[in-house]
Amino acid sequence: MDPDASAKAFVEQYYSTFDTNRNNLPCSLSRLRRSWCQHSITTVDSQPSAVNSAMLVFVSGNLQLAGEQHSLKFSQMFHLIPTPQGSYYVLNDIFRLNYA
Amino acid sequence: MDPDALAKAFVEHYYSTFDTNRNGLANLYQEGSMLTFEGQKIQGASSIVAKLTSLPFQQCHHSISTVDCQPSGVNAGMLVFVSGNLQLAGEQHTLKFSQMFHLIPTPQGSYYVLNDIFRLNYA
Repeated sequence: MDPDASAKAFVEQYYSTFDTNRNNLPCSLSRLRRSWCQHSITTVDSQPSAVNSAMLVFVSGNLQLAGEQHSLKFSQMFHLIPTPQGSYYVLNDIFRLNYA
Repeated sequence: MDPDALAKAFVEHYYSTFDTNRNGLANLYQEGSMLTFEGQKIQGASSIVAKLTSLPFQQCHHSISTVDCQPSGVNAGMLVFVSGNLQLAGEQHTLKFSQMFHLIPTPQGSYYVLNDIFRLNYA
């Protein structure tokens, strides 16, 4: 699979999991107060990060929280490292809301 | 120097150079460096600087809102994630942007940009 397709597949899986079953994500994220949220992705950019087929993925989009009329803009970056099983794990993850 | 202070110093240097002398950015990239600028992929220091110097504005000012950094686990590299506002000369409203850099140490004790991804954050 080409890197852009891998990045897109990872992003779809990550945010779909976040939006439906946060308990499978790191502990701190499952404690977020809102009962549900929905990520809609605007852009996904990826680049190889130069070591062992690792990949940098840079995402921007909108986050809709339960009970809120307006969505929040966010940007997030992931540094993905290949696993022996042929998948990826997240080594680095930085998330920021983009306040107006 | 601690990583957060390093990241902040790099960010100040990068954007002040961008805002005053874009050609000076050539020293911060190498031949293996990659820039994704609004989805367009560019490789190599000379092509990256050619792209940045050909942008359709002569003057701009970056004002930085947030800087986050983490060790990248790659050769003592550092990931830096920046958000801020970009003011273009003659424009009334600023544009929001996010950018990430993957910085790799040089033998001389400095850093160069291996990975650079930039996006404007449209309202």
